Amino acid sequence: MKAPARPSFKARLRAWLRPPRTLTVTKTGRTYLVVTFGVGLGALNTGNNLLYLLLGLLLSMVVVSGVLSERCLRDLTVRRVGADAAFAREPFAYRWAVSRKAGHGFALTFSEDLSPLTGAGKLGHLPAGKEHIVRADLAAPHRGPVRLSGVRVTTTWPLGLFAKTRVFSLEGMLLVYPRRGYACKEPGPAEKGPRGEAGSPRHLDGTGDVAGLRELAANEDARRIHWLKSATAGRLLKVEREREERRVWKLALETGLTGDALERRCEEVAAQAHQLLDAGHEVGLQLPERTLRPAAGASQERRILQALAWEGFEDVDTAGADSREAA
Amino acid sequence: MKRPLRLRLVLRDLAAGSAFGAMAVSGQLPLWALGIFLGALVLALCDVRLVARHARLSALGLMVAAVLLGLQLTSGAMNAVVAACSFAGLIAAQRMLSTPDAAAEGQTHLTGLLMVAGGAALSGDMTYALCLIAFGVLASLALALGVVEAAVPDGEPVPVRAVMRPLSSGLAFAVAGAVAFFVLFPRLNWAMVGPRSAPGLGAVSSAGYSNTVRLGGAGTIKGNPRVVLRATLTPDPERDALDAYWMGRTYDTFDGIEWTNVVGAKQTERQITLRPATDTLLHQRIELLPAYGARTLIALEMPSRLGNAIAHTPTGTRSTPVQLQGGGEVRFTVTAPSYTYEAYSLPPDAKTGMSAGLVQAERDQLLALPEHLDPRVGPLAARVLQGEKEPLAAARKLAAFLQKDYAYTLEQAGVPEDPLADFLFVRKAGHCEHFATALTLMLRTQGIGARLATGFYGGARVDGGYLVRAGDAHAWTHVLVPERGFVTVDATPPSNRTSQGSVLLEKLLAFYEAVEARWRNSVVDYSFRDQFELASSLVRPPRRPAGAPEKEAPSRLPPPRAWATAAIVAFVVWRAGRFISRWTGRAPALEATRFLDRVDALLQRAHVPRFEHETLEDLTTRLARDGHPLALALTPLTRRYLEARFGGQALREGEAEHLFATLRRALDAEAARRAVKPAGQAGPTARAS
Repeated sequence: MKAPARPSFKARLRAWLRPPRTLTVTKTGRTYLVVTFGVGLGALNTGNNLLYLLLGLLLSMVVVSGVLSERCLRDLTVRRVGADAAFAREPFAYRWAVSRKAGHGFALTFSEDLSPLTGAGKLGHLPAGKEHIVRADLAAPHRGPVRLSGVRVTTTWPLGLFAKTRVFSLEGMLLVYPRRGYACKEPGPAEKGPRGEAGSPRHLDGTGDVAGLRELAANEDARRIHWLKSATAGRLLKVEREREERRVWKLALETGLTGDALERRCEEVAAQAHQLLDAGHEVGLQLPERTLRPAAGASQERRILQALAWEGFEDVDTAGADSREAA
Repeated sequence: MKRPLRLRLVLRDLAAGSAFGAMAVSGQLPLWALGIFLGALVLALCDVRLVARHARLSALGLMVAAVLLGLQLTSGAMNAVVAACSFAGLIAAQRMLSTPDAAAEGQTHLTGLLMVAGGAALSGDMTYALCLIAFGVLASLALALGVVEAAVPDGEPVPVRAVMRPLSSGLAFAVAGAVAFFVLFPRLNWAMVGPRSAPGLGAVSSAGYSNTVRLGGAGTIKGNPRVVLRATLTPDPERDALDAYWMGRTYDTFDGIEWTNVVGAKQTERQITLRPATDTLLHQRIELLPAYGARTLIALEMPSRLGNAIAHTPTGTRSTPVQLQGGGEVRFTVTAPSYTYEAYSLPPDAKTGMSAGLVQAERDQLLALPEHLDPRVGPLAARVLQGEKEPLAAARKLAAFLQKDYAYTLEQAGVPEDPLADFLFVRKAGHCEHFATALTLMLRTQGIGARLATGFYGGARVDGGYLVRAGDAHAWTHVLVPERGFVTVDATPPSNRTSQGSVLLEKLLAFYEAVEARWRNSVVDYSFRDQFELASSLVRPPRRPAGAPEKEAPSRLPPPRAWATAAIVAFVVWRAGRFISRWTGRAPALEATRFLDRVDALLQRAHVPRFEHETLEDLTTRLARDGHPLALALTPLTRRYLEARFGGQALREGEAEHLFATLRRALDAEAARRAVKPAGQAGPTARAS
């Protein structure tokens, strides 16, 4: 083990030089600046006082524009609400919650800073003292965990000449599920034979409609006794119900896959799992380093998607924690 | 497609209208351009986008207009700036009438900006300032609403009221900033090229200051209340209303319809002497305003010397020579919206004598009659005079006759073949030119020399000076009296000599003129010298009070206003410094990181380093677990670091130094302990596991 190294001079210099706000000129702003320059030249050339007055007004508007946009970005509180489910290469709903104690905010555009997520949310007016949820349709280029370092808030208020941006430092992570596509391959045969706590397929012990009554055998579950009929008959009768046709699949992700092959396989497994779970079957997942037991329902699909999303990115979180500490 | 906010479009169109107005007040734009733009503005305000479906056709129309303007420009019929401004107006009109998309919006605002800049080059009128402010406000509102509207989701209302408040305060600051920039920015003038400006829409050419006077050709001027001349007289007559004649020029030749002069330009000097001076000259400091619209100098009768003229052009103030024309007219050689000059006149009762500058041709013309003079004029004059031969008495007798038997009217009787005969024998009514012409020619028929004089009559006292209006334009007769020279005799009825405008209108316009004068002095003519005077007035020592004894030495300290200015400047600099330091200041998180770096440095020096991937918290835990004596000192540091780095509680000033001092003491104690104990006898560190 060795002592931790200080951040490099370059990194410290870059951090020191990074401005708290960034400013870009819009297309309208470029034209405005060119005209202002022309008016300035005209004023200097002719000495026309009215041109000086106009030049003063144009320059003042630039300053006022900067001040108003700065006031717009100050006192903002932004938190990330996030997405319900983000799938790669398809738009997903993403939300931020924004509020301010005093003053108004206008024409705010929200996006994630330094992340591969594309898309932005817009907010026309943010009054003081009320939290507002900004919704955006974002898109992620690939599956996996996306590190989120901050939220970019941009405004072109008031005149649309300059776009001023403030980055709210907000660490976070978004897990992008594999793309939901069409499964080209069949998922293979279902699991056969009794498994785990499931009863024998030869017996009717499902949870469907009532199929009939029979005498309770020894060591059978007393919870299935129909007490009213048993009292009438004078012996213990058990309710037999129809058993649903629910089968079990165990999908597997082969070991040694990397790059595009891994991506394609993850997408295919996700599609197969979705298809099977949608049909009411139980689906399990075998990954190179872990296994998900078969289960049914939406929560199982989410577990499968999460496991697939993390496949190949298992070391990301640890590295992130280290980098945060180093900063 | 999202339907644009109607209010925003109206504001945009009105802003373009204001920008066009900034050019139109110069009065130089062609009428067809004015008509097209006004039509387009009305249609746009009614939300009729006429060229939305005919974009190409309208673009073709614009090209044709550009070609026509180019032809006018190359032929010299139009100024380049005027042509450019007209074309900008046409583009704005086309954009206003097209589909209101983002491109059209931007182009409309851009052309608006160009039109405002063009207006500054064309006009110096105060109405330009109103148009400029209107454009600034309306265009800013339209742009701001557009920015917010673009961020509001479909179907949701645009928060118009919420936008207005911060924007209006921002606009107020912008106007204040513009004024500060205007006042403080060093006034430079490279003077490479610059167009001349026009006096504005309100300017009129006063009666009689073309080379000819057409009898009956100018009657409506009497109703014009615009101020054309402002004068300060020395000695001051101190009367509310002057009954003085302000002379511009005289005419000696009448052809039956028009008055002209036989002699043209004579000499050009800085000062022109018209007649010998006396010891009691009446000095006048005269300012000719843009509403005057001519280049002839005006002075009280009888002017003796005129000159020292300064022309106030849009490109600056400069002195101009003056030129003597026929008829005693003195003209500026430089065209400008307004002028300032000095004049000296003989007192009213002085003998003028025959002007030294009067040439023989002019003397001969004083008795000349038109070829086709109505034969009834001479007998009429003889009948009125009844043998009177003395020129002044005869002139006064004829003037009394005309004032008694003839009526004053401003109504025109078309264009009669013989206007004088029509006045004397048919209508028996006319205005000052008819009366003056009739008197002049009736005198000439009797062998008495006379000529027509034009200028202004009257003058109202305002702020210690005298104002003369366009409606005071007047014509009268100069009678040549032996031994005395030319004497003024006015045949027009006294009550009709001055302006015939409405009193209320005159008062309103007097207020407007006062504001405009302030505008001209403070804005249009603001110069580097004014800036210098403003700066020096701030540091100039205070004047000695009126009652203070002269022996008392003036204070060498700057006046209070200089201290106040310095305090304001210092406050502004301090605020700016604080703003910049806050803006560029480090975030608390970075301060905490720097704090951690210093802790690391101290620990390394004491040979207690953090391992790779080990946080400060882990290090403290490890040391505490091992029973290390530094753990006690590190625990509060670690807690404070975590609070500062992640808990949003920044380190207070001096707090870091206090914590470091504690750590240093602990490190020193540890070093001392190690020095006392040999390394092999270090305390047991084994622990149960």
